[in-house]
Amino acid sequence: MTHKLSRRDMLKGTAAGAVGLVAGLTPAMVPAQDAIQIRWSQNEERWTPVVNNFNEMAETPVEIEFLSITGIDHEEVASKILSLLAAGQPLDAGYAATEATVLYAGQGVAMSLTDRVQDNADELAEYFADMAPILPEVMMWEGDLYQLPDGCNAPNMYFNLNVLDLAGLEVPGPDWTKDDFHEYAVATTNAGGEETFGYAWTNRLWGSWGPWYFVNDSNFLTEERAPGGEWLWETFYADNDTVSHRGGGWRWPEPSANHPNTVEALEYVTSLVTEGISPGIEMGGGSSLQGLYVTDKLAMTPAGGFWAGGLINAGMEKGTFDVQFWPQWKSQRHQLGVGGNWIFTGSPNADRMWDFLKFSIQVDQLLSQAGRYRPLMTTTPVRRSMAIAEAYEPTGPANWSVFYETLDRPDTAPIPAPPEANAVTNIHTRFTGLAVSGEMSPQDAMDQAQAELVALFARTRG
Amino acid sequence: MASETLATRERRGSLLGWFRADTFEGVRRQRAILGYLFLLPAFIGLVAFVVGPMFVSFGLSFYRWNIFKPPDPIGIANFQRLLTDSRLPGIYANTLFLVVGTVFITQVLALTLALGVTKLRSRKLAYFLRTSWFLPVLMSGAAVGVTLSYLFQREFGPINYYLGVIGIDRVPWMTSASTVMWTIIITAVWKNLGFIFVIYLGAVTNIPQEILDAADVDGAHGWRRLWTVTLPLISPIMLFATVINVIGAMQIFDEPQIMTRGGPGDGSRTAVMYMYEVAFKEQEFGYGSAIAVTLFIAILIVTGIQFLLSKRWVFYG
Repeated sequence: MTHKLSRRDMLKGTAAGAVGLVAGLTPAMVPAQDAIQIRWSQNEERWTPVVNNFNEMAETPVEIEFLSITGIDHEEVASKILSLLAAGQPLDAGYAATEATVLYAGQGVAMSLTDRVQDNADELAEYFADMAPILPEVMMWEGDLYQLPDGCNAPNMYFNLNVLDLAGLEVPGPDWTKDDFHEYAVATTNAGGEETFGYAWTNRLWGSWGPWYFVNDSNFLTEERAPGGEWLWETFYADNDTVSHRGGGWRWPEPSANHPNTVEALEYVTSLVTEGISPGIEMGGGSSLQGLYVTDKLAMTPAGGFWAGGLINAGMEKGTFDVQFWPQWKSQRHQLGVGGNWIFTGSPNADRMWDFLKFSIQVDQLLSQAGRYRPLMTTTPVRRSMAIAEAYEPTGPANWSVFYETLDRPDTAPIPAPPEANAVTNIHTRFTGLAVSGEMSPQDAMDQAQAELVALFARTRG
Repeated sequence: MASETLATRERRGSLLGWFRADTFEGVRRQRAILGYLFLLPAFIGLVAFVVGPMFVSFGLSFYRWNIFKPPDPIGIANFQRLLTDSRLPGIYANTLFLVVGTVFITQVLALTLALGVTKLRSRKLAYFLRTSWFLPVLMSGAAVGVTLSYLFQREFGPINYYLGVIGIDRVPWMTSASTVMWTIIITAVWKNLGFIFVIYLGAVTNIPQEILDAADVDGAHGWRRLWTVTLPLISPIMLFATVINVIGAMQIFDEPQIMTRGGPGDGSRTAVMYMYEVAFKEQEFGYGSAIAVTLFIAILIVTGIQFLLSKRWVFYG
């Protein structure tokens, strides 16, 4: 017997089937019961183990929608996050390094964590006690804390030992000077008849020629400590007598690009290019520089602890590179950048994100981040207890302790990154490029940079 | 029969009837509505992603807006700032140089290669060359930028290495203001050549053989045939290829952004890069929009000039 299906019956059947299908799939598509969804601009691969660990112990799990936002440098990532916000796509949380921390804080994008930190002081005491005080200080803006630090890097001097060998040199001591540096740079240029460069750097805000104006007792912008922050120092560092000079974060009130010491620093690094000690200086994140270094064509360059793992990943062998403090000039003042996670102002999931952030800064959770601290160190850990010989055993360098000791030096300070950091970075790199390529004299370049910075601050600060 | 006529009349009186009317007018109406329905998604996309943003951008150019605070109306202040912006002339000069260099080289090369490929006897070789020249078009601008920045690297890049082999000093491809725009032009030509080449290949291949044979019979060979027969016949396609090439060159962003980030100084910064940086990096969306307006007007003027001049050299016969 055959049954003839009419068109009407077939449509009815199809509709019923579709409803059934949707009903059947719906439970699988909605989040697990009580789970809270969080949009977070972070590295999914790195953070998934930490999220899984959190959900194993949490009564209310979180489901993270990771937004992978990449860029050549930190300021580009910040630009993309701001573009997202401008397009009306709010985040619950994001990652920022020093380049954008004050930008988010100063513009009201990031939420102050001060009250939450104070309310959870007992729980967080061990975390802050395990950390150089400069790190939370850099994460403050006008007395309030905006991020819990989870990674940092200060530019130290890296040495390629193969090139040093060609010049018959050894890694200098910690109190070496700019004159020592120059001798090293000259000796390692075309060392042993090979085509080598003594020194190179990348044109950006962090690293770059910034360490030179820092040790020449100047800066691209004037800097001062903001008042406030006593709540942090009194709560977590009451027994620490090195925090008396610390405040509530940094301010950069005025441009100082054409300060004689800043110009002198630029003249020095420009002269290295002119003399053939440094190759042409490029913009970017440093991949070309790394290429020069791992092929034994470069003796010295500024880089942070992240390079220990980075150089091994790029093919260098342990024991072929080492590190030292920046050389002394008028001072031996170092600069640094710190990274951490911020919570979006007005996020409906702020409480849950805060719970997660508190969880994530425990030592075992930091170590759970995939590929960040294990098997190789690809950043400097903020926790002192993690910056140990065992951690640097797979990579070196021999002077690994320099990375964290730089943070303990009392005069170490953040890179100049005010709320206008993106525009400042643009001016910094543009005029640096003009000077080192010989298009402008260092003095003219910094005079024009100063003029643009003055105009910028007039527009943004009124 | 009488009841059917009544039902038909009733249907015609209703909305459904108007749509389903089984008359010639009804069928035409149905087809027209179907046509509009097919156009609707594209129209919505056009309004939402092209026309709408254009008007919003034009409107924003009269405001100061940094996304953190509500937009503040400032009249024509952003346009007045354009007149005093010392960076803008240099950036537009870069853009103009890039457009002229890229378009000239791309057009000449693409046409030459298209003419050359059609002369090849080996089909396999022609197929191989067509594919090879088109491949870069399929790559992302970012990937091209990263790869070519390694090739152009001054110290250890392969290009300078081979130049050194033939006795030419290292060229600071990306670190000197005098050479950096040529580097961007070479990159842009390499990336986009295949697209224009394919357009010309189609045009040259479609020239009727009998016309070429007739030209031969009339004694027009080689260059003469190219100038008097081939080029006039493909001139409408040349206009199209030139116009899209110019517009594309005026909007080049990926390659200089990845390779030089506009440096050294503003040496390789284009108008689109500047607009992006001002709006999205420095959060000056009003001024960024004003720059976008100038770029829009510049493209409009250049395209208009191209169409005006086309009356002198484009042959539609």
